[in-house]
Amino acid sequence: MYRLPTSFPKALSIVLFASLMVACATPPPASVEDDAVAERVRAPTPEEPRGLQIRPLQNPAVAELTEAARQAEEDDDLERAELLLERALRIEPRDPELLQHLAEVSFNQQDWEQAESHASRSFDVGPRVGELCRRNWQTIAMAREQMGYRHSAELARERLEACRVEPPPRY
Amino acid sequence: MIAKLLSRLLIFVLGLALGTLGPWLWWLDREAGHRFAERQWTQASRVYARPLELYPGLALGPDDLVIEMQAAGLQSGNPQDIGRFQRRGAGLDIHVPGFSFPDTTQPPQRVQLEFSGNQVSAVRGENDTAARLLRLPPAELGNLMPLDDRDRTLVALADFPPLLVTGIQAVEDRQFNHHHGIDPRGMLRAAWANLRHGQVVQGGSTITQQLVKNLFLEPDRKLLRKFNEAIMAISLERRFGKAEILEAYLNEVYLGQDGATAIHGFGRASEHYFGLPVQALSPDQIALLVGMARGASWYHPIRNPERAKARRDRVLGMFFETGLIDSTTHDRSVARPLDIQSDRQRRSRRHGEFLDLVARQLRRDYRDRDLRDTGLRIFTTLAPSAQSHAERALTESLPRVEASPDELQGAIVLVEPASGEVRALVGDRRPGQRGFNRALDARRSVGSVIKPFVYLLALAQPDRFNLVTPLQDQPISVPIAGQPDWQPRNYDGQSHGEVPLLDALAHSYNQATVHLGLDVGLADLFRLLRQLGVEPGSDPHPSAFLGALSLTPMQVAQLYQPLAAEGYSTPLRAITQVVDSDGQAIGRYPMRMRPIRDREALALLDYALRQAVTDGTARSLSWRLQSDPGVRGKTGTTNDLRDAWFVGYTRDWLGVVWTGRDDHAAANISGAATAVPVWATLFDQLPLTEQPTHWPESIEWYWVDWPTPLLAAEECPGARAVPFIAGSQPDELSPCLNSSQRSRWRRGGR
Repeated sequence: MYRLPTSFPKALSIVLFASLMVACATPPPASVEDDAVAERVRAPTPEEPRGLQIRPLQNPAVAELTEAARQAEEDDDLERAELLLERALRIEPRDPELLQHLAEVSFNQQDWEQAESHASRSFDVGPRVGELCRRNWQTIAMAREQMGYRHSAELARERLEACRVEPPPRY
Repeated sequence: MIAKLLSRLLIFVLGLALGTLGPWLWWLDREAGHRFAERQWTQASRVYARPLELYPGLALGPDDLVIEMQAAGLQSGNPQDIGRFQRRGAGLDIHVPGFSFPDTTQPPQRVQLEFSGNQVSAVRGENDTAARLLRLPPAELGNLMPLDDRDRTLVALADFPPLLVTGIQAVEDRQFNHHHGIDPRGMLRAAWANLRHGQVVQGGSTITQQLVKNLFLEPDRKLLRKFNEAIMAISLERRFGKAEILEAYLNEVYLGQDGATAIHGFGRASEHYFGLPVQALSPDQIALLVGMARGASWYHPIRNPERAKARRDRVLGMFFETGLIDSTTHDRSVARPLDIQSDRQRRSRRHGEFLDLVARQLRRDYRDRDLRDTGLRIFTTLAPSAQSHAERALTESLPRVEASPDELQGAIVLVEPASGEVRALVGDRRPGQRGFNRALDARRSVGSVIKPFVYLLALAQPDRFNLVTPLQDQPISVPIAGQPDWQPRNYDGQSHGEVPLLDALAHSYNQATVHLGLDVGLADLFRLLRQLGVEPGSDPHPSAFLGALSLTPMQVAQLYQPLAAEGYSTPLRAITQVVDSDGQAIGRYPMRMRPIRDREALALLDYALRQAVTDGTARSLSWRLQSDPGVRGKTGTTNDLRDAWFVGYTRDWLGVVWTGRDDHAAANISGAATAVPVWATLFDQLPLTEQPTHWPESIEWYWVDWPTPLLAAEECPGARAVPFIAGSQPDELSPCLNSSQRSRWRRGGR
């Protein structure tokens, strides 16, 4: 039966559980002699944006809003920080750093659900390895703990560990 | 004897007068003090568009920026003046007016914008420095009027331009700073002038008297009223400071009508007549408004432009005589036209359909009285340039696709998918037509627009379905209790046999979809629609698999939002923030999102909807759009060709187009032929950027060949790269691959 989550934490735990189940169903890494075929049947993930994307390295408006949000956090004005980050997200809706920053502000506002959502979205659009990946799953794990979902929090911590390794190669 | 009688009579009259006058004076004095101290001015609540951030990299061309600026009240002109802009080659020179945003107050500032194509490449402030964070003041979309129908924008005395503050005194009351409420010399002078002309030609009222008259008294010229006015004016001056009185006057003076609404105060008058905040007015504009204080109808700049200009020039003369302006300014100002924004009222009414949505969302959270009287400022999500393009797309495209003139109606909903913010809403082909708001209220059959959700239910079962699962596009007969069997047909009248799931959706095959729908279940489809925030009704007929469901364009946009937002659902919203008249935020509508389950299945569906655009029913987009940044979409056409839909999205925009006849008659229209052109006309005008798709971690791509879907390699004939949820890909290898490799590829137990 197809069901969309009615409650968010349950939803995420289901998502994560499902993805782990899926992971179990994934064929084990092909043995050495299968590599040649495995490589041939795999298609590359389409790199959709064709041509050169020209944009400033870091948008100065986003940088300034981020800095202002940081200042607001220092002044304990989380609502203002949230407002400023939303402004920045209207400029760069897919900036993983911004989304993670917003997740951390939501966490400090004790809005566990949004903390988890924003961190999850940050992970989706982010590099999925390294420092940001760790912060993503750290926030997700802590938000789940706060909501009392110990098991799914544990799964998030395990995923956090995987941030240390390189992602699987894409052929 | 007579003298004695007379003197007694005089004493009697005097005594009587004093006896009644004393309490009368006392009462007037007390009333004036009380009423002034307790005055509570109602202010209309204003609804604003989203403020546009200006930054290098902003995907907006100069033409669109001009639309945005004009919507915000800026005009083409000399950018030395606040609120004016000028094109300079490929750039724009803008004097951005100040605005009090909910998070900060932005002073007026002059900036230069440079463009590279349809993108802002540089934003420079004064002295060529890179401008810091900068927003255009938001366009005012409309007002929620106070119950007393008096509109004003309260402005503090210190925020009025100095020329206005001194100018009004120079024209109306030169002794204002010295008198005690009345100016006997002024009164005598006026009385003498009136006597000479045999009629009232001059008023001798001080500013304080005028304020008393406006606030407390009936507007007649009776002697008793004049007496009361004088006493109350003296009383006000005794109790309150000059600054407080002047500030009240500047905010209270009557300056014309906007329909049934009275415009009070220079703050609102400035916005109404010039579309600018009062701080941004030039000397000639100040002179016009100051002149209108004497008689706003008599000197009305739209109804009586010549009289108004003569009065303005006379006021400029007085400014010059009293040394408030120099001769250069005087001569330059006199030479200028009245420069009234005559289309302002029309423009504010053009956003009626969007305001309708705003009002509905507000009514959930606020009482009507609070909304109307307390001067709230409501910040919304509308983008004026996108709205303008959406209105034009519908108006200009419908005549090209309809059989007879004015036959079709239509609606457009345009959304920023990640945030769920509604950027444009059109509910009628004639923009500004107040009436039936089709975007929100027209419940029409959605046709094939519903199909992706049937396929989503299937793809969410990766052990049973993937994008290449063969479906049966064959005649089908569905028994219905108490009714004849239901026998759906395909749009082209043909059955296509065994087709991959992907192609069945891209080509919108009805029979394949019904086969699939019966497999996944009608109840699950209805449940899914409810979970996505849309109530599909309670008629569980299997024709719902083909879209025999009536939904509004807004509901359809809500259904597709998580698809366009890569699996994160959020309620569509039109409001971001509500701020009270003191600038305090009283209502926040923050970005809230929720990852939906089965984001993997959604990613596969997203790919299938890309196929619908590149190879399926919406393939005409390839030549209709100048550039295609990876559009996904689905057409919808209902039985008897009554309703035509297209829902298409990029990562920046989600657009829903509906067209059809108001009387539900057959119109010989289809999604591909009627709605797609409207959608393409709109999207061709929008700034589109290419964005990578972020596939979920568990999505893997494989080469597949046909007719039976088998794993293949790139060089195999007809092989296509298709995404799968890892593990759900076919496990059989195509004969195209080397047979010796095949035996090794097969793994035991799979």
